[in-house]
Amino acid sequence: MTAALVEEGALVPVAAVPGTRRGRRRGRGPADGPPRWQIYLPLGLYLLFTLVPFYWMLLFAVRPDGSTSLVPWPATGAHFDKVWNDRSFGTFFQNSMLVGVATLILTTVVALSGGYALARFRFKGRTAFLIALLCSQFVPGALMLVPLFQIFRHLQLINSLWSVVISETVFQLPLSVILLSGFIRGIPEALEEAAWVDGCTRLRAFFAVVLPMLRPGLVAVGSFAFVHSWNHFLFALMFLSEQDKQTIPVGLNTLIGADSVDLGALAAGGVIAAVPVVIVFAFIQKWLITGFSAGAVKG
Amino acid sequence: MSRPQHRQRRARPAAGIALVAALALTATACGDSGSGGSGDEGSGKGKIVFWDNNGGVRTDVWKQIIAAFTKKYPDIQVEYVGIPIADVQKKYDTAIAGGGLPDVGGVGTAYLANMVAQDALEPVGDRIDKSDLKGKLVNGMVTSVQAAGGQGKEMYEVPTSANQGTIWYRTDLFSAAGLQPPTTWSAFYAAADKLTSASDNKFGFTIRGGKGSIAQALEMMYAQSGIQDFWDGDKTTVNDPKNIAALEKYVGLYKKATPEADLNNDFVNMVAEFDHGNVGMLQHNLGSYNDHLKALGKDKVDGIPLPPSQDGGVRTVVSNPVDGLGLFKSGKNKAAAWKFIEFAASAPMNSLWSQSAASIPANTGAEQDAWINDSRPTKVAMDSLNDPNTKIVQFPYYLPDWNNITKADTEPDFQKVLLGKMTAKDFADELAGKINDAQADFAQHHKK
Repeated sequence: MTAALVEEGALVPVAAVPGTRRGRRRGRGPADGPPRWQIYLPLGLYLLFTLVPFYWMLLFAVRPDGSTSLVPWPATGAHFDKVWNDRSFGTFFQNSMLVGVATLILTTVVALSGGYALARFRFKGRTAFLIALLCSQFVPGALMLVPLFQIFRHLQLINSLWSVVISETVFQLPLSVILLSGFIRGIPEALEEAAWVDGCTRLRAFFAVVLPMLRPGLVAVGSFAFVHSWNHFLFALMFLSEQDKQTIPVGLNTLIGADSVDLGALAAGGVIAAVPVVIVFAFIQKWLITGFSAGAVKG
Repeated sequence: MSRPQHRQRRARPAAGIALVAALALTATACGDSGSGGSGDEGSGKGKIVFWDNNGGVRTDVWKQIIAAFTKKYPDIQVEYVGIPIADVQKKYDTAIAGGGLPDVGGVGTAYLANMVAQDALEPVGDRIDKSDLKGKLVNGMVTSVQAAGGQGKEMYEVPTSANQGTIWYRTDLFSAAGLQPPTTWSAFYAAADKLTSASDNKFGFTIRGGKGSIAQALEMMYAQSGIQDFWDGDKTTVNDPKNIAALEKYVGLYKKATPEADLNNDFVNMVAEFDHGNVGMLQHNLGSYNDHLKALGKDKVDGIPLPPSQDGGVRTVVSNPVDGLGLFKSGKNKAAAWKFIEFAASAPMNSLWSQSAASIPANTGAEQDAWINDSRPTKVAMDSLNDPNTKIVQFPYYLPDWNNITKADTEPDFQKVLLGKMTAKDFADELAGKINDAQADFAQHHKK
């Protein structure tokens, strides 16, 4: 009975579920799972291992030049001021944000249409198309640089942020389409049919019934597209040859010279680059996990 | 649940048109050669585009130079684009293949041959002869640029500066340990040993085991062995027994006098370890001087050239890449672009740039500037280069494969040597084999 309730997502009294806090406190037998320290100690160590590099980045970002202090005090904002104003990170940030948001919207909209078609329609070449999508994941972006460069040049999109947005979208789409089609397949078709019976068109039924249930999948695909385009360096470097069009990853790389590196500025740039990604993940992590697991198992 | 059939029929022509359009677009894109033909001298006015091959770090000084240039030539506007040094060759290669090269670009001798081979750069020898730069460029750098271009005496860039291998050492740690500066190899190895206390996380030296390791290893090998030529006939001297013995001594420092993590050290990590840790010595070029000054202050750090192979003997230094400015063949305003190159390579601007880059200026008019006397490591490096007892081992930068061989192809092998999974002799033999093959290919190609 309990198992059935859990599967259906119904509320279950905490004490009745093994492994919850109250359940573990009462006993230490094998049925109660491992003691709490065996969970928290490895997790704590892993967290420490993960966060130490971030601490170093923060330390170098706020520590004055020449300081060897292991704590970020006294702190200075000079490195942030330098990268934001002197190294044009303000402009780079704006460009990266535009590229990220446009890629997110384009990828999500196109992947949604493609994913729906793959999930709901049976057409010739459907399997071949899916295989082609999968195979396209094996083509490295660097291999496509020159052809893409020439195409964008003919379209007069070199030095336009659209060249990066389009490239990023194209490279994001295969995985996004596969992910969303898996997710849509998990939504019973009977729900849509019920909407049609009630007089909805296919499009209206999609918006009214399918789309609200796709939220975790959309969040997963959208955030993945945003974060990937935010971090991606190669296309921005190759297709944008004007200083005020460049993006954060290119800006970060320019802080490493041939023979010298400004570690303070580099760390401050790293913090600026990391903040939006951290914020995005902090807000969406709940849906992200649901989205990835749902899309992954329902093929 | 499938779509009504009449809709499918309607969709087919649309899909066909889209496919044909995409193919047509791709086909039109294939016909264009990127390097862009012979370009044009232009009016000598208007806009030119300049790609800085070390963008970011040198942005400020270039902006100063550009401001001074536009003050002198108000009819010429210079658009500055900073390119990260690590990817500059990829950026140039893509632009050569796909189009969109700048009018002027920073070009190092390390990848000059590759660009000359792709016919991207304009020869500048004649232009130099007709300009104020004639006779004012340091001979050694001119020779290096000529050699790196691989086209006889022709020059494909105007040299702006050169670098020099340096042993940086912490004067405070040396004084505390009662050590003399590492002016001889025996003093160097003794200091590396004495300054190491692994349990206290103190090390005498930091070795470059990761990206860029080969150039530094070669520099240490030739400096210790005293071998003065890279070639013995048509075979390289890299695997000469004296070089192998020197390599064994050098890699012997790993873990004995260096941190274990040095296995993956690129220059960023290596310099950070030296500037922010407890490491006594670092082998790097002059370019990191400003970083050391900022982190440690003038009182705690000094730099000297790599010692001669024997006390009082000949000092053998390898030819470090020369940085310069290239004029692109595809430029539509070469007259204006050349004015910019000439201006940037003039004594006052070259001095300003070299001071910022902590490197040796190419314009002889900048050699006597006050900042060089104030910058002891730069002065000492320049003096050593001008010393008749110093011999320069010219690396074959003209080999189009030189960068691949000394980077991606060989760096993993160097890590194997550090880990004891490959002998120094096997490493040197393998590297020598690749260089000899590349040289044979080059000779064959040029015979045709």
